[in-house]
Amino acid sequence: MADAEGLFAANQNRIFRYFCRAVGEAEAARDLTQEVFLRVTRTAIPAAPDGEVTAWLFRIARNLALDHHRRRQRQPAPSALVDEPRRSASQDINLAVNEALASLPSLERDVFLMREVAGLGYDAIAGACELTPDAVRSRIHRTRLQLRDLLAAPIATSRTTGTGRAAPIYERIDR
Amino acid sequence: MTGNHEIISAFLDDQPFDLDELAAALSEPAGRALLIDLLALRRIVQPTDAMPAIRAARPLWRTRWRYAAAAAVLVLGLGGGYLVGERRAATTSSDAPPPTRIVEAVPFTPTGGMR
Repeated sequence: MADAEGLFAANQNRIFRYFCRAVGEAEAARDLTQEVFLRVTRTAIPAAPDGEVTAWLFRIARNLALDHHRRRQRQPAPSALVDEPRRSASQDINLAVNEALASLPSLERDVFLMREVAGLGYDAIAGACELTPDAVRSRIHRTRLQLRDLLAAPIATSRTTGTGRAAPIYERIDR
Repeated sequence: MTGNHEIISAFLDDQPFDLDELAAALSEPAGRALLIDLLALRRIVQPTDAMPAIRAARPLWRTRWRYAAAAAVLVLGLGGGYLVGERRAATTSSDAPPPTRIVEAVPFTPTGGMR
């Protein structure tokens, strides 16, 4: 059985990265990451293999992200009268990615982010989102096709610059 | 077609796939374009912010144990001090200590008159 500190050290980055895209704000992502681990310290960590503990952790994270979205929907939208400063190309892409992700149903978005940003395997995602691994596979693929359409321009820009990478940034911890 | 495309997703995710099927998918220009687009998509969705180094919150039971240990040390210290004081009080008698010098009291006799 893992202890809370070990679990925190092993997962804080992947959870933070998931929150960054799930809520679209780094500051909120930091707060929510801390909140996940506060909750972990208050409960008994399940005595299960690593993949299942990761799924449990991401189930907590996903619930917090959903709560965050509900709270934000209740708050009034910020005024559009303020002049926005000029943004760089990378900030534009970042904003477009956040908007595209926000337009997706929450389950599709979370399944996709847990795979692409947090680097979870299909089984862990299935555990976190209460789906079967086959459902995870088809949802990830459908979401990719959807995002490919929504983000056609940033993808085209990215194709002409930089180098590719076949493997996700974070290693999978379960298969 | 969709099936062929799904195999490209499986390939990207390091999932088991059929090599012939992947070869068939990648033999089409659409399949190759999809593979490249999905790699580019993977790149642009990576967040740019970094998690600041923070320490995990200590488990509540550990904090409670610390408080309990501190309280136990305090009680032991106070109790020990009280017992030592009691023991010392019991061994010493309540009689006055023997004199080291004796001063005799002499009645006052006025030597001068009033002016």
